[in-house]
Amino acid sequence: MDVKLEMEVGLGQDEPRRAVERFERFANAHELPMGLVFKFQLALDELLTNVVSYAFDESESDPVITVGLRLTDAQLEAVLQDNGRPFNPLLDAPEPDLELSAADRRVGGLGIHLTKAFVHGLRYERVDGWNRLNLVQPL
Amino acid sequence: MNVETSYSGSTAVAVVDGRVDSANAKDFDEELSAIIDRGVSSLVVDCGGLNYISSAGLRVLLIAIRKTNEAGGGLALCAVPDHIREVLEVSGFVRLTKVFATADEARASFAG
Repeated sequence: MDVKLEMEVGLGQDEPRRAVERFERFANAHELPMGLVFKFQLALDELLTNVVSYAFDESESDPVITVGLRLTDAQLEAVLQDNGRPFNPLLDAPEPDLELSAADRRVGGLGIHLTKAFVHGLRYERVDGWNRLNLVQPL
Repeated sequence: MNVETSYSGSTAVAVVDGRVDSANAKDFDEELSAIIDRGVSSLVVDCGGLNYISSAGLRVLLIAIRKTNEAGGGLALCAVPDHIREVLEVSGFVRLTKVFATADEARASFAG
């Protein structure tokens, strides 16, 4: 098996959901395990939500966000690309302190924390003005 | 996402179903805030029909935990599906709120 799905993601607040629901249909059509689909979906959602919310200034003239999915017998892979400001969520996002009480807990950073916990292989690179995130989940 | 709430004095049970993500976290926040603003200090969130929650939804839960704690009560979860429970564990939320099997057990935890 070697199937691919390419999609463009807009800047609206509903766009990450639209993208992950497309991923869900793609994954279900190929009968991937529910637990894996949920975790990968959450990771895509968190990363795309970050990009949609923070990667672009209002002055940005031509924002582009793309998601490329590839499913083989061995693994599920996603490549997220955007031409927004340079941002490596794997390094630049603050690590949440999970020991703190509710009153002291900060609300940020949880999305990336969940992403790191739920997806096996995560890699970031900045290439020719593009942020590129690579997610790999062995099957 | 849909929230149905039943009230009993300062305790309420909110049954949440569907998905909570960045697209509707604001709605979820408004729903829970409206419940707490009615004088509810002990809030049970029944997650039996919740099939998805992202960090945007967790943020809303954290706000509701703070508000109910400050009001002298608290927030408890019940009927949490396994995959949602894993999100709560990884994010450390199991330290911030108690998780019960049923709404009755969660409600009873506030009685003492």
